[in-house]
Amino acid sequence: MTATETNRQIAMVLDLNKCIGCQTCTVACKKLWNKDTGTGYAYWNNVETLPGAGYPRNWTETGGRTDQGEVKAGSVPNLDEDYGRAWTFNHDEVRARAGEGEQKPWLRPKEKPKWGANWDEDRGEGSYPQDNHYFYLPRLCNHCTHPACLDACPRHAIEKRDEDGIVLVDQDRCHGYRFCVESCPYKKVYFDPQRQVTTKCIFCLPRVEEGVAPACARQCPGRLRFVGYLDDEAGPIWKLVHEFAVALPLHPEFDLGPNVYYVPPMSPPKLDAQGRPTDEPRIPTAYLESLFGKQVHGALRILELERAKRRRGEASELMDLLIAYDWNENFALGERKREVL
Amino acid sequence: MVHKVSLIAAPTGLSPGGYVKKAFADRNAPQTPVAELEVVKGLTGWRIRLEWDCSDPVTSLADDVDRFVDAAAILAPGAPDAPWMSMGAPGKPVEGALWRADREALFGVRAEGLGTVERSDAPAGWSAMADRQAGKWRVSFHAPSWSALDAQQQLAVAVWQGAKGDRGGLKSVSSGWIAVGS
Repeated sequence: MTATETNRQIAMVLDLNKCIGCQTCTVACKKLWNKDTGTGYAYWNNVETLPGAGYPRNWTETGGRTDQGEVKAGSVPNLDEDYGRAWTFNHDEVRARAGEGEQKPWLRPKEKPKWGANWDEDRGEGSYPQDNHYFYLPRLCNHCTHPACLDACPRHAIEKRDEDGIVLVDQDRCHGYRFCVESCPYKKVYFDPQRQVTTKCIFCLPRVEEGVAPACARQCPGRLRFVGYLDDEAGPIWKLVHEFAVALPLHPEFDLGPNVYYVPPMSPPKLDAQGRPTDEPRIPTAYLESLFGKQVHGALRILELERAKRRRGEASELMDLLIAYDWNENFALGERKREVL
Repeated sequence: MVHKVSLIAAPTGLSPGGYVKKAFADRNAPQTPVAELEVVKGLTGWRIRLEWDCSDPVTSLADDVDRFVDAAAILAPGAPDAPWMSMGAPGKPVEGALWRADREALFGVRAEGLGTVERSDAPAGWSAMADRQAGKWRVSFHAPSWSALDAQQQLAVAVWQGAKGDRGGLKSVSSGWIAVGS
């Protein structure tokens, strides 16, 4: 490996205009990596409805960074109130009473759930039909350039790999103190109380090392995820982040350099009292600015201009890229060394 | 010999990394201000009793993710000038045992500086009996042999109260080595 091949940063771009909230990414990730009993509640990848409280509940208020990027004391979310404990179901009861009478018992959670990873799905905000709105935000570890979790670990149990910037927990060194859970302002580090170590997204490292995109990206029916290296000028990440500047980090004010980027959602216009379209988008731009920073204005403008080109029948490399005619082109990870889903 | 040991909050400013020292900069008061320590060297080895007030014991994580269990450690210098507050230094280790309320077996611990603690099975024959009465934890350690303590005749203690968020470097500790005699 040469010096120039080290210190690269892998990244992901997600086009929020294409996410349908189907949770295929969530299931793909969960089935692949998080089936241990101690991580039943943990979703390395989740999709939440915004505006909404998210997962864990109100996560933006519990992390270890201020809006100015300064360290502050964070907190570890509660399993029942904030994450939502993994549900267990009354399968035995239903099975035992399957043949009894016409009234079949319902399959339902044994405990009364208080919260969950997708608890406020599709609620959003606003009033129908004037300005009701919501969109989906898939979230995973941002594999930050300056990871708060790494900075928080007194055990030096978290590393950021030189070759691709993937952030990993060394569970042999982890003593389960959970400063990483507290400090991450994205709340994307999880504690496994059974094994008493923390866990987090590994960006499907074994797949990436063989040129295969992470499961969440590869399984996405909406073709909304792009994966590659930030310095690959021929790849989709460079084009979306640097060339067209339409892909933005989530909460850049935390100042950690997240390496997951989002193409912000456009929205149809609000209606006035007479039901006529106005000039204002349904999703308030101020709200998007609170998520993606001031650069969201420019990104939305570029998206509007490029869409307009397409409507006029003109070429738009950006729109073609985002449409993803050939989804294999969403991923630029070098030679693919094996064939997997 | 019975010692009434005043404990201090381990200085968070020494903690490795940037988060703990800033997020817990105001954690200057010990969560456990005092402990009682009795150290006896007998024919069967070292017997060390450590007691402290604990009104809200945590003995299990109970499958929760925001709980921390009670714990206590006894450590001896592995070299004459091994520093205590920094958990030893390169070439100057500290070593001893860690009791946790959620497991029967002791951990053996060894460190050569902050962030270097290595846990292992405790040496053969080492054990701890713990009980809690009248709002106090009493943990009785037994070490049939402990060459570091034999050599240095010094001990330090650390106490973690899980209900108060203690873990890792968030702990109450003796302010230095305690001469134990024999």
